[in-house]
Amino acid sequence: MTSRLLSTIILTIVMLFLIGPFLIIVAASLSAGDTLAFPPQGLSFKWVLKVFEIESFRASFVMSMMLAILGTLAALVIGIPVSYALARYKVPFGETVRTIVSAPIIVPGIIVGLALLRYLVIPLGFNIGLALFMAHTALVLPYAVRVVSASMVNLRSDIEEAAVLLGCSRLGAFLRVVLPSIRGGILAAFILGFVTSFNQVPVSLFLSGPGVRTLPIDMLAYLETTYDPSVAALSALLAFMSIGIVFLAERFLGFSRYV
Amino acid sequence: MFQNRAEALALALPAALFAAVVFIAPVVILLSEGMRNAEGWSLASYVAFFTTPLNLTVFIRTLKLGAMVTVVAAIIGYATALCIVNLPPKGRGRMVGLVVLPLMISPVARTYAWIVILGRTGFVNQALTGLGLTDGPIRILFSETAVFIGLLQLFLPLMIIALISALENMPRDAIPAARVLGANWLQVFWKVILPLTKEGLVIGGTLVFTGSLTAYITPAILGGSKVLMLETLLYQRVTVANDFASASVIAMILIVMSFSANLLLKRLATARAKR
Repeated sequence: MTSRLLSTIILTIVMLFLIGPFLIIVAASLSAGDTLAFPPQGLSFKWVLKVFEIESFRASFVMSMMLAILGTLAALVIGIPVSYALARYKVPFGETVRTIVSAPIIVPGIIVGLALLRYLVIPLGFNIGLALFMAHTALVLPYAVRVVSASMVNLRSDIEEAAVLLGCSRLGAFLRVVLPSIRGGILAAFILGFVTSFNQVPVSLFLSGPGVRTLPIDMLAYLETTYDPSVAALSALLAFMSIGIVFLAERFLGFSRYV
Repeated sequence: MFQNRAEALALALPAALFAAVVFIAPVVILLSEGMRNAEGWSLASYVAFFTTPLNLTVFIRTLKLGAMVTVVAAIIGYATALCIVNLPPKGRGRMVGLVVLPLMISPVARTYAWIVILGRTGFVNQALTGLGLTDGPIRILFSETAVFIGLLQLFLPLMIIALISALENMPRDAIPAARVLGANWLQVFWKVILPLTKEGLVIGGTLVFTGSLTAYITPAILGGSKVLMLETLLYQRVTVANDFASASVIAMILIVMSFSANLLLKRLATARAKR
């Protein structure tokens, strides 16, 4: 009995520590006062509404959305073939290839962003939008390869061999047999890549130019100058968005099987 | 297994080339920049970096905070994971959900919450002043304590999850058996639980330690320029001083640590697969 009580106490404290700050953000964003405070000074939606009126947040939200969607799609477009090759073919230097495409996960993002800016973007005169797109694609690539590879392993190769024997071309077999069978894994990789890219800060730190910024970087910059609850409101909204996406993915896809 | 080399290359090359050009080459050039000077190869940047007191302080602070966060996360992690695996299945699923939930939330939002809690007009200061424990607001933000709390909250879930899966793979009867044979709880932990779950502890520990070492957002928001860590120092050296030599040295430190941690995890995984 005492151990049950002890267990409840421990779990309550730890969960408060883990979840509490998020609840406080939500409460603070509903404050009617002008400064960030908990408990909130009265209730209102004015800060939640103000988020939508701040021009730079709107622009950087669109930027982050586009990066997350296009970067993840690009990572899948190059990541699915390489995962397929590594699973089905004897790729020359296969292990090296696997290491190269999964390396961006090991190197801290801030270094990736800095190196990309200094040795590729500036010398070749790329614009920042393109640089961000390349950085986010590189960042998501390891996740795409890992999740897609995992679902490829469970796929029996004799089914596509049968398709080829029955007259289907190799490409046709890939498009009609392999792709449909791993679509759950691809969707899971997309969601994981999207959330990772959207929340990513360090890789984009050095990659910002006039009017071109990702949303988290914009929030960090706003924090330095202003101390009102709008960032809290935005944080809460984004958190609900991420939780919603992952919840739906889990519900309809069994997301956790893939990740 | 298909044998066609040309097809294999056509499928694998786009991703490999992309990663090599966009990522590997620039990072390698950045690392090499710290190992040369005007005349050629030289370790002068490394000597300069490690003989500057501020850099050394930041380096030691980063290791220290990383180690402290890892140890405390392990202690809280074991207590929490043990409680969770002893719950009935339904409660266990819910608790795991609550542990995973923070991982979906943007780290900026999660870290920002601590400003509301620990700031001058924050929750903790209001409580302390209200209870008459302090005369006025005390400074908690922009201290190592604040960064420590932020990092712990950010990475604790990874440790708990690693330990839960290790505990679930432990033979069910091990703990009752040890109890029946007369071991007290401390002995059960040291002689039974710890040895049987040490792989999970190493996995969780590596994730928490490398996560803390390479954290940027937490020290940036909760430490500011007062409590620099390696990544915030790197950012400052580049933006304030255009000092790419130091940036290169810091990059090397972070990459070496993160690669060795990854290697350790890989070896653990293959050792387990062999068993």
